[in-house]
Amino acid sequence: MRRNNLLWGCFLLTITGLLVGLVLLPVPGSAQEEVASSIRRYKGYEASTGYYEEFEAKPSRMRPFVGVPEASKGTFPYSPTGAGVRVRTRLADSHQGLKFYQDLRCEYCHPAEAMDIHTTRGNLTCRQCHGGEPIASLEHYYSPMNPIRKHAYVCAKCHEGASASYAAYVVHEPAPGSPAARKAFPGLYYVYWFMILLLAGTLGFFIPHSVLVGLRELFRKKRKDEK
Amino acid sequence: MTQTLRIKRFSTLDRLFHVALMITFLIQSATGFGRLFINSSWGASLCRVFGGYENAALIHHWVGALMIAGFVIHVMYLLSRIRWNKLWESLFGPDSLILTFQDGRHLWQRIWWFFGLGKPPQFDRWAYWEKFDYWAVFWGLPLLAITGIMLIYPFWASSWMPGWTLNIAALLHRAEAILAVSYIFIVHFFIGHLRPTSFPMNQAMFSGSVILEEAAEEKPAWVERLKKEGKLQTAAAKAPALWYKVVYFAFGYAALACGVYLLVNGIMYAGQVRLH
Repeated sequence: MRRNNLLWGCFLLTITGLLVGLVLLPVPGSAQEEVASSIRRYKGYEASTGYYEEFEAKPSRMRPFVGVPEASKGTFPYSPTGAGVRVRTRLADSHQGLKFYQDLRCEYCHPAEAMDIHTTRGNLTCRQCHGGEPIASLEHYYSPMNPIRKHAYVCAKCHEGASASYAAYVVHEPAPGSPAARKAFPGLYYVYWFMILLLAGTLGFFIPHSVLVGLRELFRKKRKDEK
Repeated sequence: MTQTLRIKRFSTLDRLFHVALMITFLIQSATGFGRLFINSSWGASLCRVFGGYENAALIHHWVGALMIAGFVIHVMYLLSRIRWNKLWESLFGPDSLILTFQDGRHLWQRIWWFFGLGKPPQFDRWAYWEKFDYWAVFWGLPLLAITGIMLIYPFWASSWMPGWTLNIAALLHRAEAILAVSYIFIVHFFIGHLRPTSFPMNQAMFSGSVILEEAAEEKPAWVERLKKEGKLQTAAAKAPALWYKVVYFAFGYAALACGVYLLVNGIMYAGQVRLH
């Protein structure tokens, strides 16, 4: 019995000691860094500024591009440079080589892009974000639209304080239910179809259900009146 | 005098929650639809009622904050109503709104009854469609609140998650709002007003009580249970005063008119709206 008490006492003392230590001793090394989380480290900082110390950092955890579903690069493209030209996402002038380009308007070739909220509600013109000629491709390293600096060079013109993450908002969304969205923006695609099915299921069940309730009670009432 | 016997169905707090939800929901639908349909003539005039596109958003945000506060208060109220020493009965008993297998059986029975192929199900206090009504709001409100907060504070939201989630938040907010509005203005209004046993208006949610005879017909198991437990006397309630009846009829019909107006115009102008 005595020994048991002694063991119990030691145990309690250890636990109390550890608890006191936890409260009073300095925090472990990983928590003493200037970053709040040892896992995320500088990611929050990178996301808001696009910089890690003096280096430009790519917004790794973001999804900066909506892909171009029709334009597949494939394993063996037509030719390394040729595919680049066809995809047109890495050029200094993305409209390079288009015939009679000076006579075209943006919405002739990009009708859907002129229908988003920025254009229809914000009354923005294409040039207010995309700038004058030549318009560089999104993935061209020095393009203002490149996701490593888009937030600062483009979004922040109106949305002051925009972070790289904020700039990952997809301005030109694909139609959410389309196969194109499934490829380029699957989250939007699946959420859309989930909500459509939910809407159709709820109304498709409860509207006929209500009508049947109404009809059935109408007949029941009539029978009662006849009595 | 057996006709005038009434039993209590909703507490004063329940009714206050419902009235608060009615008012905030209608304001949210009107300001939200005004903005959703802003590119149509109807949306523009709807926004003008609230002082324009920007002002409508401001009202929408503040009323949204009120709704969130109401929801938090409601959850606290729910927690206070749980009897922790009889947890199972409290959660799955007949006075609880939680869906049980019994509700599934009732639904099945009722479908047969629709076609005259069986007896009507013996509903207890809450029938399955009433429970569905409740839970539809209960999950819809937090979804609208979270996506709404994300859209009000996009910088803050995008510091927690990638910015493309804002696209999804906008889609979810619109889709859930359209679901809620169409469900309330079609199904809930039909059940509350047009259904032969409710016509011209189901007053229980405003008067707080129902006529015993009607309850015995619609919710036989509930009345049976009250009788068995000898609670019929304690559940007895007074009839609503005439002035109060006039007020809630006027209020209920005003809400109905607003809802039908939004629904009809929403359907008419639906072609001008996209979900994203």
